[in-house]
Amino acid sequence: MAVFKILLINGLVIGAIYGLIALGYSLVYRASGLMSFVQGDMVTIGAYLGITFYRVLGLPFAISFVLTFACAFGFGMLLERGVIRVLLSRNVIPIYIVLATIAIQYIIQNTAQAFYGSVTQRFPSVFPNKTTLTVLGVTAQTEAYLALVVSIILMILLHFFMTKTKFGTAMRGSAMDAMAAESVGINTSLSTGVTWGLSAGIASLAGMLLGPMYGVYTTLGATIGRKGFAGAVVGGYGNMYGAMVGGLLLGLVETFVSGYWSGTYKNMVAYIILLLFLLVKPTGIFNESAIQDV
Amino acid sequence: MAENISKAEMNAELETDKAIAAEAAAQAAGGHNVDDEKKHPVVLETHGVTIQFGGLTAVDHASIKVRKGRITALIGPNGAGKTTLFNAVSGVYIPTSGEVLLNGEHLEGKRGFQINEAGISRTYQVINLFRSMTVLENVMVGMHTRLKSNFFSDLFNTKKRREEDAEAREKAHEWLKFVGLDEFANAPAGSLSYGKQRLLEIVRGLASDPQVILLDEPAAGMNSTEKLELDALLKQILNMGYTILIVEHDMKLIMNISDYIYVLYHGALLAEGTPEEIQANPDVIAAYLGGEDDVI
Repeated sequence: MAVFKILLINGLVIGAIYGLIALGYSLVYRASGLMSFVQGDMVTIGAYLGITFYRVLGLPFAISFVLTFACAFGFGMLLERGVIRVLLSRNVIPIYIVLATIAIQYIIQNTAQAFYGSVTQRFPSVFPNKTTLTVLGVTAQTEAYLALVVSIILMILLHFFMTKTKFGTAMRGSAMDAMAAESVGINTSLSTGVTWGLSAGIASLAGMLLGPMYGVYTTLGATIGRKGFAGAVVGGYGNMYGAMVGGLLLGLVETFVSGYWSGTYKNMVAYIILLLFLLVKPTGIFNESAIQDV
Repeated sequence: MAENISKAEMNAELETDKAIAAEAAAQAAGGHNVDDEKKHPVVLETHGVTIQFGGLTAVDHASIKVRKGRITALIGPNGAGKTTLFNAVSGVYIPTSGEVLLNGEHLEGKRGFQINEAGISRTYQVINLFRSMTVLENVMVGMHTRLKSNFFSDLFNTKKRREEDAEAREKAHEWLKFVGLDEFANAPAGSLSYGKQRLLEIVRGLASDPQVILLDEPAAGMNSTEKLELDALLKQILNMGYTILIVEHDMKLIMNISDYIYVLYHGALLAEGTPEEIQANPDVIAAYLGGEDDVI
C-alpha cells in the first residue's frame, strides 16, 4: 500500500507535467491544424530560463516563474508570426512546416548547449529549508508536490480563461472556424498568435517545475515532449481536457510500470498504449475527430 | 403603400419602353423618388470594385449601392462573381482596385474582423458556425465586438461584467426566440438541421447589430416550406430596421423580397433595377438563358 501511494503521487506529478505539455500540443493543433516539435523544447527553454532568472540572477522563484512564462509566450508568438505564418501564407504542405519545427528544435537545443554546455545543470531547490514534504503518509521532494499543485492550478486557470473570458472564447472561435470568427469581429490572426504563445508559455512552466526534480539538460524537453504529445493523442488530439487526462494517464501508467515491473520498460508500455489508441480508438478518450473528412 | 405606388409608376414607365437599359431606367426612376432616397439613404456602396486572381478578372468594375432599410439583391449565373464581390466587401479578399464605403468610411483593405466592427455582418454560402459551441454561445460570440468587458474584468469577474454577461445572454435568447431556435439554446450548433443552422448563422450576424447584413445564398438547401419561412423572416428583419444585401439563386424569393436588384454577368454589372425591371430586361433574360445551368 505504501508503495502504491508513492507511485500514485509520483505518477500524478509526472502525469500533470505531461498534461501541461499535451495541452500546448492540442491548443496549437486546434488553432493551426499543425503539430509543432518545438513544443517539447519549450520545456527545455523554460527550464534554462528558470535557471537564468532563479539561479544566475537570484530572483525569487515566483518572479522567475512569471518572467519565464512571459519570455516563452513571446517566443511562441514570434515563432508563429516569423516562421509558421510565413510558411502557411505560401501554401506549403503541412509536413514542411512540421519539418521547419524540427529544424528549430535542434537550433534551440544547440543554442542552449552553447550557453550552458552539455552537462546537466543543477536547478536549485525552491524550498531550501524544507526539501521534503509528507502528504497522506507519502514523503516526496517538496518540488514534486509544488509541480502537482501548480499544474492543476494552471489547468483550472486555462479552463477558466478558454471558456469564461471573451478572449478565450475568441480563441476557441477562431480555432473552430476562422471564417466565421472573422465575420463576427474576432481578430483570428491575434488569436492564433496568442494560442502559440500560451502553448509555449505553459510548456516553459512545465520545464521550470521539472527542473528541480530532474536537473536541466538540452534534450530534457525533447524526450518529455514526445510523452506529452502521446498524452494529447491518447486523450483525443485537439481536445484540451483530453490532453490533461491523457497526460495524467500516461504518467500514471509509466510510473506504475517502473514501480511494479521495471523502469526499463516504462517507455515501451507507454508507447504501446499510444499505438493501441491509434489503432483501436484514434479519437482518444474524449472522442475528438481524428479521421479526416474525405 | 408608397412603395407600391412607386413600383407601379416605374412599371408604367417601363411599359412604354421596355428596351431602356436598366441603368438608365433606374436613374429615371430614382429621379421620381427623391423622398424615397431621403428615407433610405445609401449605407454601403462599392465604386468600380475589381478583383483579379492572377490573369482572371472575377469582378470587373462593379459599383453597387445598398440603401438603408432595404433589401438589395445581387444575382447572376454561377461564376458571375457575386460571392467574390461579397468577399471583397466583407474583407475576405482585398479588391485589386476600387472602393468599398460604409457611410463614407473606406473599408477596402481592412481585415474581416475590422469590417465587422465597422458594422457589416455576413453569412456564408457554406455554413460557418462554431459547431461545437452551443447555439446560445454562437449568438453570444456574435455580440462579441459590442461587449465592453476585457481580459481583466473577465478575470476578476466584476459586477459590471456579470451584468453585461446576463444582459447579453438574455438578448441572445431573444434572438433565438425570434427565429424559433430557443429550445435548442444549449445544444451544440453542429447538431441542428441544415435549415436551422442557416437561421442561426443569420441571427448570429444580426446579434452584432450591423448596419448592413450580407446574406450569401440563405435559401440554399432549404425546402419549400423553409423558403417561405425565410421569406417572412427577411421581411421581419427589414421591419426591425436592418439593411440587407443578399446573394440568392432562388428567383421566386428574390423577386418577391428585393427592393432593388443588381445583375452580375462574367464579373461585370449587366443590369440593375427593381424586380419588375429586371424580369423584363432582355439582356438579363438572354444572360440567364445562355447560362450553363441557371434559368430564371
